[in-house]
Amino acid sequence: MIGNFFDQFWSLTFGGLSLGFIYILIALGYTLVYGVLRMINFANSEIFMVGTFATVIVIRDLYKFTQSSEYATGFRLWLVLGTALIITMIISGLLSMVVELVAYRRLRRRNSGVLAPLISAIGVSMVLAESVRIMTDSRPVASPRAMEKSFIGKFFDADIRLDNTIIVIAALLLFFTLWNFINRTRLGKAIRAVSMNPSAAKLMGIDIDKIVSATFLIGGVMTGAAGFFYVLKYENTASSIGFELGIAAFTAAILGGIGNIKGAFFGGLALGLLETYASFFLGTQWKAVTVFIVLVMVLYTRPNGLFGESITQTRV
Amino acid sequence: MNKKLTTSLVFASVASLIFGVTTASTAQAAPKKITLAFQGPLTGEEAQVGQDEVAGVEYAIKLFNAKYKNKYQVLLVKADDQGAPDQAAKVAPGIASNAKIIGLIGAAYSGATIASLPYYKQRNLPMVSPSATRVSITDPAAGAIGFPVFHRVVVTDKVQGPSLFKLATKGVAGPKAFIVDDQSAYGVGLVDYMKPVIPAGQAVGYDSVSDKTTDWSATIAKVKTAGANVVIYTGYFPQAAPFFKQLRDSGYTGILAGGDGVLSPSFPTLAPAAVLEGVRLTAGTVPLAEISAKLEADFKKKMGKASGVYAAESIDAANVFLSCVAKGVSTRAAMLKCVKAYKGKSLTGSTIKFDINGDVAGGAMNGFEVRNGVIKFTGAIK
Repeated sequence: MIGNFFDQFWSLTFGGLSLGFIYILIALGYTLVYGVLRMINFANSEIFMVGTFATVIVIRDLYKFTQSSEYATGFRLWLVLGTALIITMIISGLLSMVVELVAYRRLRRRNSGVLAPLISAIGVSMVLAESVRIMTDSRPVASPRAMEKSFIGKFFDADIRLDNTIIVIAALLLFFTLWNFINRTRLGKAIRAVSMNPSAAKLMGIDIDKIVSATFLIGGVMTGAAGFFYVLKYENTASSIGFELGIAAFTAAILGGIGNIKGAFFGGLALGLLETYASFFLGTQWKAVTVFIVLVMVLYTRPNGLFGESITQTRV
Repeated sequence: MNKKLTTSLVFASVASLIFGVTTASTAQAAPKKITLAFQGPLTGEEAQVGQDEVAGVEYAIKLFNAKYKNKYQVLLVKADDQGAPDQAAKVAPGIASNAKIIGLIGAAYSGATIASLPYYKQRNLPMVSPSATRVSITDPAAGAIGFPVFHRVVVTDKVQGPSLFKLATKGVAGPKAFIVDDQSAYGVGLVDYMKPVIPAGQAVGYDSVSDKTTDWSATIAKVKTAGANVVIYTGYFPQAAPFFKQLRDSGYTGILAGGDGVLSPSFPTLAPAAVLEGVRLTAGTVPLAEISAKLEADFKKKMGKASGVYAAESIDAANVFLSCVAKGVSTRAAMLKCVKAYKGKSLTGSTIKFDINGDVAGGAMNGFEVRNGVIKFTGAIK
């Protein structure tokens, strides 16, 4: 088995990395909101799910791709992918803002405590998932293939595929854009200020509602991007998909240290690789068991996650 | 209670009330009303299978009502279990307690059948399933949990498992099969029945993967490490399509095969046509058009759509009950007795006769292949 593992090491690693980057983007949705509001936005998983449907609709209905149509190439390919990514990010970002406005804002203003927003979040999550389930009649929905899944090279014995490469590079770009935005722009600094001390930030003239809205928007945009990359890689979706991926990304956020952007990054990568290696070594049926044993062990030694101790300094 | 079921029951009740009054006022002339039920997935992921089956049942009833229009009128209550055991456990009590229903065509799926059985056994409701293939429902060694009410017109997974391996490796020089189940009782069962017939050295690996899996890279790495040239998946089509797609995208060029859980008209729509081209499938069903082009044309004319998966078996299952109705059967007890003693011909011409546990005598497993984005019948597996 060890020999086989080393034979497949790079293939597994590339697969785990592209999955890990999808987890990172969803985990950012959880971590940004938690950093500012100390609240788990459980509806984030369904924002991801809606994002996957938005991508499918753009590819299938806007660009009229079918399961037997020619793949896009050259400029058209980048146009299709770019449009799908941007539209998905906008839809998910706006939906995330609406969720905050409808489900959380009033509770927050009334200082309703921790439990009411939690239940509200679960409620919104169920409303979104069930609405899409009814609209799709519970059926899986396939995205027609817009891009050929071609191999662009080899790394040791592993084939490097174009779609996985796009996911890794684009997700990295998005992550560093977010990192710079949070650390270097005026709005980013305001988000960090609210995250560290909302009362002091308010006294400094920061509009808390505006910052919370912006945080949900950014979190939704990142989660939407994950939805696009998911469809690009797996080419299908379903109303139930948010739950599975959402739990995994939430686990990644906890593993890295929730509320911490760097934590979401390393937590996502670690989870993607861990799941893939565990599935190969122990069998796919042991994947969840392995992941949660590792999570418990990490939390046992580092209760705030891998990057938990610096949470007050690097929190969004 | 399921909304569709509720609506159907209300309609059936209102109809019986109205027609009951009519019966009183028109004395002897009105036909006797008999109610049968169908249970299967009418909504949800598996809806197409259920819709195809119920169309077959309705077709059989339409022919019967036309033939016996002065004597009997058979009504059908449709129960939607979405092919899921939890949903089945919700709809079955309603069907079981509706005394008007004297026979049930279904359930379509084994899991849903098992979840429904306690209610039907308690109320002595005879069942004839067109497509539930799990062995334990009728196998005395596994408890024969369907006895005495359950019967089926298809062969079981005990036949399907070996047939699937046979079809998957047909024409492959030096087959090296990698077999993946979906951790469901159906998927694991198919593999269990397949294993004893696999020649030494022809199975190079196994994996058991949750039906919630989205990323198959670990299984694909195992397939590649094993050097497999045949991959058999014993789960259902919503997972089979992405698995096969990711496998092909990884550069795998060997044979892909699956059982009747994959045999859904929706399956080829879930991946590019080129990716699923040549996928081999097994099932106990025979397409109506293969039996008779004339029959298919008549079906299309009467039902307004082409026949689908398990249409022929659904017609056969309905005909078992309808032949009993034609003999004057109007109670559950009499229906059960009649079904147990039934001996008749299926649409393919084979004899339908049930053994003591409800299994049909004889029966065959058939092969299918995806060609140009459509599942095509390739004949009986010999």
